[in-house]
Amino acid sequence: MNVPVEFYLVLSTLLFFIGVYGFIVRKNLIGILMSIELILNAVNINFVVFNRFLFPEKLEGYMYGLFVIIVAAAETAVAIAIIINVYRNMKNIDVDSIKELKN
Amino acid sequence: MIETLKDYYSGFAIMNQELTLVLVLIFVLLADLFLGEKGKKNLQFAAIGSFALATISGFTVSFGGSQEAFAGMYVTSDMHVLVKNILNIGTLLVFFFAHYWNKNENRNQSGEFYFLTLSTLLGMYLMVSSGNFILFYIGLETASIPMAALVAFNKKNRDSAEAAAKYILTAAFSSGVMLFGISLIYGSCGSLYFDEVANAFQGLPVQILAMVFFMAGMGFKISLVPFHLWTADTYQGAPTSVTAYLSVMSKGAAAFTFLCILFKAFHNYPEIWQNILWWIIVVTITVGNLFAIRQKNLKRFLAFSSISQAGYIMLGVISGSPLGMTSTVYYIFIYLFTNLAAFGIISNIENQTGKVGMDDYNGLYGTNPKSAFIMTLAMFSLGGIPPFAGFFSKFFIFAAAAEQGQYLLVFIALLNTIISLYYYLLVVKAMFINKSENPIPTIKSDNMSIIGLGICTIGILILGFISPIYEYMTSISFGM
Amino acid sequence: MSSGEIFIVVFITAIILVSAALVIAMLISPRSTNEQKGEPYECGIPTRGTSWMQFKIGYYLFAILFLMFDVETVLLFPWAVIMKSLGVMGLCSVLFFLFILVLGLAYAWKKGALEWK
Repeated sequence: MNVPVEFYLVLSTLLFFIGVYGFIVRKNLIGILMSIELILNAVNINFVVFNRFLFPEKLEGYMYGLFVIIVAAAETAVAIAIIINVYRNMKNIDVDSIKELKN
Repeated sequence: MIETLKDYYSGFAIMNQELTLVLVLIFVLLADLFLGEKGKKNLQFAAIGSFALATISGFTVSFGGSQEAFAGMYVTSDMHVLVKNILNIGTLLVFFFAHYWNKNENRNQSGEFYFLTLSTLLGMYLMVSSGNFILFYIGLETASIPMAALVAFNKKNRDSAEAAAKYILTAAFSSGVMLFGISLIYGSCGSLYFDEVANAFQGLPVQILAMVFFMAGMGFKISLVPFHLWTADTYQGAPTSVTAYLSVMSKGAAAFTFLCILFKAFHNYPEIWQNILWWIIVVTITVGNLFAIRQKNLKRFLAFSSISQAGYIMLGVISGSPLGMTSTVYYIFIYLFTNLAAFGIISNIENQTGKVGMDDYNGLYGTNPKSAFIMTLAMFSLGGIPPFAGFFSKFFIFAAAAEQGQYLLVFIALLNTIISLYYYLLVVKAMFINKSENPIPTIKSDNMSIIGLGICTIGILILGFISPIYEYMTSISFGM
Repeated sequence: MSSGEIFIVVFITAIILVSAALVIAMLISPRSTNEQKGEPYECGIPTRGTSWMQFKIGYYLFAILFLMFDVETVLLFPWAVIMKSLGVMGLCSVLFFLFILVLGLAYAWKKGALEWK
């Protein structure tokens, strides 16, 4: 069993653009957050695959992947707290509800 | 193995400023935890005082040349130290202006305000002196995640929640896009160290794509134009002190980091990113100016003004020379005093009357002549009218771009300066000429913000004439 | 037989067996319907109120705290792998890291995030 490296890259690119698409079309703030997580997962796949197949002598890519996971968790925690705050203020977490700020 | 570990720990010896800041951070956190309800008043003095000491101690740091630690992960030089000192000064000024807000409206959460602000500052430090994309990413996120919490600080306020949601989602998205670029850089260059990336960068299509993704991510942080959509809403909804912090410190640190990375990692193929940056600058300056004209809310107005100012800062980056770096840092330094003076007045008036509309400022000169005077100075300096500091910073940055033959770009930027004069003078006109039936009543500022405004005024008036500052920056700057 | 043929035979047998069991049960089992059968089962007692219930918002604080501390410990793994060769100095680094984490927990505790309201 040997999956060529291109397959992984196709997967990660697809995942990345699914995330971008979701970020643009989703109406729910939690949905947008999940799309961002998809993007970060695509990035992680990229890092790990590059490290495993192209530069196996050093561990830079794995370490980067680890840090991406950790920072993503922190980001999600703050984002969810903010979304809950939005819900408390507007009783709604639709994107349409956060368009009050206009001139 | 032990020997390398000793080398590893010796790296901390050149991280004076970071370690001082970490000590201040832990001190503020513990003070907030254990001072209790009665000590809230002392907490402010503890936080501001300890941070002021850290700021002063930052000026004693000097290296002579470039230094690196942790196998090139962390890089520092006199220029980096200077940028961190500039960030320190700005943060201290923001603390002065936020003192009144922390004393009254925000009394229960003032400890968190200081703690989160200093955390973002630590992130900016790491970001500024990173020599590797890992440390850069950690610094960037340490700077932007607590910033989202700061934007959401008024928990009961709808605008604050909305602004924070927009900020965190765009920040996370942009860092995701940037990370994808970095992963492609890693895949095609085989390393994450800036100097090794520079050696392996051959201008392959995938590397150019990666660079564009990276520039897009940085564009979000500096709010350059195709990526500026969050700026106005976030600036308007955030508490005014946070807006001031966001518009100066966040932008300045990100701009300097962007410059460093372009100089260090992508200097072999400058024409690629210079072409992209050329269009970004033209669009940024123009769109920022055109949108600023029709704003009625002063915070929103300053948001668009800061977008166009970011375009001017990029003029120093595009030149890619030591002169460009000098003029960029000088521009950030002057911009700090100028913009903070404007935000100081706005936050003073907003704290005491709750008014931020342009029309509310009609007839301000009649009731608050000093505030109107300082606001006028800030507006003149932002517009670049000669005797003030803003003129000199604009002059040097145009000179840096013209030196590299970017005449058309400088010409477009000059045309835009005239447009910007129009809208900056609109504010002055409102304060001095327009009549109002119920102008803002005479307000009494608290001592802290008077000190802050005094420092800003002195900065605007005389910094342009102190040539040793510029000469010192020239002596320590480096190019591609 | 080659491994591919075995796979096909096993696959078809599995499908036939399972569907045969379902079809036979459908044909021969007795049927009765009443209202009580459609209700959600809750340890024998009739359900009160709606089963579509919302969780208290207070849970999210615990979820976030758990998430943070759970994920941050990922950073301990790279250290644990080469713990012996790093020696005392590596241990000191990790202890400082844990100190920062404990500081965060102490902060949450003191601010009352762990109290059940």
